[in-house]
Amino acid sequence: MHRAVYNLAIPNMLNCPLRSGSSLTAALRTSFLVLGFVVGVWAADWNSPEQQLARKVAAVTGPGAVALTVENRSSLGRRETEVISNGLRAALEAAGLRFVKPEQAAATVAISLSENSSSYVWVAEIRQGANEVAVVMVSASRPEGLPVSHESVPLSLRKIPLWVQEERILDVAVLEENPAPEQIAVLDAEKIAIYRLQGGKWQQQQASSITHARPWPRDLRGRLVPAKDHLLDVYLPGVFCRSSAGTTLALTCHESDDPWPLVVGSLSGGGANFPSFGAVGGSPLTITSMRGFFAPTRNFFTGALTPGVGKFTTVAKYYSAAFVPRDKYVLWLFASVDGQVHMVDGVSDVAARLRWGSDLTSVRTSCGAGWQVIATTAGDPDGDAVRAFEFPDRDPVAVSAPVDLAGRITALWTEGKGDSAIAVARSRETGNYEAFRLAIACNQ
Amino acid sequence: MKRFGWQSLVISSLFAATLAAAQARPQYGDTLHVAMRTAPTTLHPADSTQPDSFARRNLTLLMFETLLTTDSSGRIHPALARSWQAVAGNRRWEFRLRHDVSFHDGTALTAEIAAASLRAANPSWNVSAAGDSVVIEREIADLELPAELALPRNAIAKSAPDGKPSGTGPFHIVDWQPGKKLSLAAEENYWDGRPFVDAIEIEMGRNYHDQSIALELGRADLVEVAPEQAHRASMDGRRVSSSEPMELVALLFTRDVVTPDEKLLRDALALSVERASMRSVLLQGAGQPAAGILPDWMSGYGFVFPMETDLPRARHLREQVRAVPTWTVAYDPSDSIARLLAERVALNARDAGLSLQPTAGASADLRVVRIPLAAAEPWIALANVAAAIGLPSPKNNGGSAEDLYSAEQGLLGTKRLIPLFHLPATYGAAANLRDWSPRPDGSWNLADACLGNEKQ
Repeated sequence: MHRAVYNLAIPNMLNCPLRSGSSLTAALRTSFLVLGFVVGVWAADWNSPEQQLARKVAAVTGPGAVALTVENRSSLGRRETEVISNGLRAALEAAGLRFVKPEQAAATVAISLSENSSSYVWVAEIRQGANEVAVVMVSASRPEGLPVSHESVPLSLRKIPLWVQEERILDVAVLEENPAPEQIAVLDAEKIAIYRLQGGKWQQQQASSITHARPWPRDLRGRLVPAKDHLLDVYLPGVFCRSSAGTTLALTCHESDDPWPLVVGSLSGGGANFPSFGAVGGSPLTITSMRGFFAPTRNFFTGALTPGVGKFTTVAKYYSAAFVPRDKYVLWLFASVDGQVHMVDGVSDVAARLRWGSDLTSVRTSCGAGWQVIATTAGDPDGDAVRAFEFPDRDPVAVSAPVDLAGRITALWTEGKGDSAIAVARSRETGNYEAFRLAIACNQ
Repeated sequence: MKRFGWQSLVISSLFAATLAAAQARPQYGDTLHVAMRTAPTTLHPADSTQPDSFARRNLTLLMFETLLTTDSSGRIHPALARSWQAVAGNRRWEFRLRHDVSFHDGTALTAEIAAASLRAANPSWNVSAAGDSVVIEREIADLELPAELALPRNAIAKSAPDGKPSGTGPFHIVDWQPGKKLSLAAEENYWDGRPFVDAIEIEMGRNYHDQSIALELGRADLVEVAPEQAHRASMDGRRVSSSEPMELVALLFTRDVVTPDEKLLRDALALSVERASMRSVLLQGAGQPAAGILPDWMSGYGFVFPMETDLPRARHLREQVRAVPTWTVAYDPSDSIARLLAERVALNARDAGLSLQPTAGASADLRVVRIPLAAAEPWIALANVAAAIGLPSPKNNGGSAEDLYSAEQGLLGTKRLIPLFHLPATYGAAANLRDWSPRPDGSWNLADACLGNEKQ
């Protein structure tokens, strides 16, 4: 538990998630985390502490008849308690103890499965005649919990785990998939790391540091945007980075107040038209490539837009934006810092309290009306959820059940292809940041 | 082209009613108002003339930072030091500092300044600077040094020519009226990100009642709540949050056991105490009865120390002693709970045939003491309790739960201390104070807190 080596070599001394002082070597650790997360199986091995405790008990009692009780005082479940209890009995028997009724016993052994803030503590209180109670104990490490997912109707919003790490994840881009993601880029405060799934395990391929002169603002946000002629553009508060064109990931970063894209390339007019969606009179709708200016020392967009929505080139300061194509115009939704959602159609700017969170984004799918807005809503008491909405008329209509992300949502961005989104939540159980792909499936 | 107007935008009540609001992103701006009982006359982290309290620790960490920090599980994390290592059998420790940190007066953090600060706080330590590292050398192996450095009293402070300390923390001092009021402003270029709130106004020396009124009237956003008032405040609809039980309430004998009779009488007193009824009546269900120094959540074995009342055995022990003195038990007259506990202990003692006289005076045979545990790290907590009551600090030689238990048992075996309860640090918060909650160790992080729109 307490070894005298540099902090990175000590498993317990991981960097604090809220702090920005992470290093590239930290990425190596995360591969272990993500393996556990994606595979989703944690098989507890209680054998070692069972054997240790049995040996300590037997050293006090010696072989012979004892009355044994096992009480669970910890957060262990009933099933796990039974497993441990049986394991302890077997280990004690192997150490020469026999179990009898209290009146027949030379000693009573009361084992408590307890815990402290960092580990399980199993305590055996041993009474032998009029002697003082002897206390022996062992510690066992505690696993971390796994999130659960939910289904929804009439559309299904599914969350697909992509990545988990202790450092704050700002965005994830899926670079290759077949059909499941096989290569991803993970953006955090200090670097982009590229991972490839090989033999069922994510392996880091490359990583490149992000240089920035000023301290990052609190509640740091950032966005990865896949590019056509190079791998990625990276938008961060007051900083823009561009990856090199070759196969080696190398970032060139500079201070920049350039606006961030609010419409991903595949959904914008520059990339494609969508005759299936919003076409009127055979004329396909084109989504303007809208951009918003981000405050370099804060966690919100300033409200300045380029080129703007109709007559509006400025809206209220906002955290996120989404859009819903209409027959002849595009309705923009801005989650403003005052807690309202501003609906801007180019002629009017109407504010409403929708009881959404601060993050919303758009996806284009083949389900329902074709365009959905994914917004953060209330989840469990300690966490947020995401839910898909459509706007058949003026009001949002929920078209999926809420999907609980088991923690505070810290990022929600449309993916490069436009038909899914990336959500990042900070797990209330572990404190780790967990990135998911949010995909909408049609319930036929 | 279809357009809509304000009047037409009505979200269905069904829709609105079925969805609670999601958490919004933290907002920048506004001034946070805090009230507290503590009234320190200096702000220097290492000033040992100021009584220790959760409030003082929290105040310190608004303005100053430590080389390392601990999380809610007691794990060590980098802070002003980005990495560290121990050599020479844990006797020599090297802490490499971050390069991007400045004091509020603009001076860059250097190893020399950090070393000087630690030397001032710990005169017995051998602290020096080597390049960008602070080096601490101890005469014996010290496994707990990283956790020790995370204590607020080891925060790095640089003294200005006028004697005022300057820190590197998320807030800097704007106005300081010793013992009365402290005004802080967000440090724009704080290395770990500017705090969300613009400023913090702290009123000091306010009793619990005044704090409660201030919260109710909207004059304070964050106040302290007496543990015994927490349940009632919660029933009144207040937003109340508590740490894990972090404060040891105990009877402390002012001198060591000298005779075997004295040991018997102290054991008799310990067996006579009715913790359960004290908790339900005097503490209104707050806290946890305790017979050990460390709370169960911290050690995992606290339940093994017997805390049941055993009057027959207490009387039996008492009857073995011929001459039973009358002990005086002192309490802090400004602490109503301490007085009630002293009176109740005296009643319990009488049932066992002992004689205890409560007194508000300073001189007594034993005292009701409240000792805020220093950290969530159990060895540090235990060592600091030992130091607070004048006993040798136990040393962590291996870190096992059994070693800790032995060390704690050793302290209790001195019969200087009869633990009664572990109490949490309890706070009341305004409805619009967001992203704030006390950590298990009673500390709070106001750099991450913000004030939301839903002001009441």
